[in-house]
Amino acid sequence: MTTGALPLARPALVRPRRMLLSGVAAGVAAHLGLRPGGVRVLFVVLALCGGAGVLLYVWLWAFVPLAGEARSAERAVDRPSDRDAGAIVERAVPVALVLVGVAGVAAAVAVLVGRTPANGHPLVPGIVESVLAGAGAVAWSLVGDRRDPRYNERYARVVRTTAGCVLIGEGVLLLPSQPSPPTAVSALLVLLLGVVVLLLPRAVAWWSGVLAERSAREREAQRAEIAAHLHDSVLQTLAIIQNRAGPQSEIARLARAQERELRDWLFAGTDPFAGDVATELRGIAAALELDHGVRFEVVTVGDVQAIANGPLVAAAREAMLNAARHAGGDVSVYVEATVESVDVFVRDRGPGFDPERVPESRIGIRESIVGRMERAGGRATVRSGPEGTEVHLSADRSAT
Amino acid sequence: MRVLLVDDHSIFRSGLRADLGPSVEVVGEAATADEAVRLVEELRPDVVLLDVHLPGSEGGGAEVLRRCAGLLGSVRFLALSVSDSAEDVVGVIRAGARGYITKSSSGAEVTRALETVASGDAVFSPRLAGFVLDAFGVAHGEQAESVDELDRLSAREREVMRLIARGYAYKEVAAELFISIKTVETHVSAVLRKLQLSSRHELTAWALERKLL
Repeated sequence: MTTGALPLARPALVRPRRMLLSGVAAGVAAHLGLRPGGVRVLFVVLALCGGAGVLLYVWLWAFVPLAGEARSAERAVDRPSDRDAGAIVERAVPVALVLVGVAGVAAAVAVLVGRTPANGHPLVPGIVESVLAGAGAVAWSLVGDRRDPRYNERYARVVRTTAGCVLIGEGVLLLPSQPSPPTAVSALLVLLLGVVVLLLPRAVAWWSGVLAERSAREREAQRAEIAAHLHDSVLQTLAIIQNRAGPQSEIARLARAQERELRDWLFAGTDPFAGDVATELRGIAAALELDHGVRFEVVTVGDVQAIANGPLVAAAREAMLNAARHAGGDVSVYVEATVESVDVFVRDRGPGFDPERVPESRIGIRESIVGRMERAGGRATVRSGPEGTEVHLSADRSAT
Repeated sequence: MRVLLVDDHSIFRSGLRADLGPSVEVVGEAATADEAVRLVEELRPDVVLLDVHLPGSEGGGAEVLRRCAGLLGSVRFLALSVSDSAEDVVGVIRAGARGYITKSSSGAEVTRALETVASGDAVFSPRLAGFVLDAFGVAHGEQAESVDELDRLSAREREVMRLIARGYAYKEVAAELFISIKTVETHVSAVLRKLQLSSRHELTAWALERKLL
């Protein structure tokens, strides 16, 4: 057994992802087999020797990789997803908040010094420190904490707001007490910087909102342009085909179905409430037109888009199916939503029939329309004559 | 009855021309707004069958109507559209058209509508009746207090509009309400007048409102 095997057993010099500040001390301790606390004390002692410890710490921070992070730049370029997957770090010290605290203390010192008359202390370094710490806090909350899930957007907002308020407060308190131009100017600059820190995120959000709105408008304009073009060509042609072929023919049926699909796309506007009465009846009409020689015209009045009513739609579907089967031709469907009730009228121009004489075996009207509506607390009436048949369905608004 | 066809599609014009009844004499055809205005002034037809969408002009059919505004007393306009959009349709009506029918209407239906408009009455399709009911807040139970009120429909007008929206022809509406066809036509013309003169609903606004619901 030789001691030469020992270096191989030594863990690699990496910074752990769960860190106090940067993971340097913990990483060095694990690498050398020491206690992290001891390493930290060592850094502090070295720091007192002309700042050597600080330099060493920063140097290690810059060059020691995080655990699991791709070491060579090539691998990182080849597989960028590796970087993303290992992007999370957990930092125990809330650096941004600490920096805000430093900025606050520095600002307080600067204000105290500035407002005490005629003491010889230089004022500018305190201002510079507070500005640096405040800006550092904001930068850290924007960049440094991005990979840390524990510091969320709300935390970043608190940091930014506090830093902005500290700087504004410092500027406001210093400004009136400074007769000499350099300090007065720097106080004014601090004040402005604070305002910028406070307003910048809002301005950025507003600007990106403007951009998003503009691109949405452009998309809408493009869509309108396409719609106008289709209008002038395809819809017209489909209308001609239907006219020439007659409503009962197969070609007219296909043209009608195509027209409806296109129309839905063109005039849909905002996406409709799924499952509402108007949309469902339009869908039923389109489906029936494919299978039967019939043309539905669906007219809606009131806030029909906001109502869902299963039994009403099912009964209306039955009525529309009857009209398509037994009457054909043009069928009008009228839906009206008032404050009290929703009414559906389905009217065809067929030969008509006597509702009283419909044989028992045909449960369509008795069960599927009248029975269904009554069970749901609504009403259904059927009127039929040589001029055609009209089915009237009514449901109370409260039952929907 | 002398009729001018205004539509930018020559196929559609010739197809329609072949389908129209014998009472209709097509005295001219126009494909653009400029041409339409010129021919209206030159020919003075009884009825202009006007496509809502015309190329090369911002306002389409509504623009033709605006430029012919001085002739609206003697020349009547019937709007023809493939559009379902409320703004388009109500736009031409407010500009002075006496009615609106869809392009999928048959030749016989178009002929009938032309005759109705030529005799001074208004032509409402079920869809236009639906727009009107929406525009005048019928679903919210609003009703005119007096005959002169432009912003709301009277109870009778509301009834007539509802029946038209349900697919009833004028004579069926008359039979249903036990009134004469002439009375139905009077009600429809009154509604048309309200639609054209009412300042209550700037119609793009209510179309938006309707979308939001």
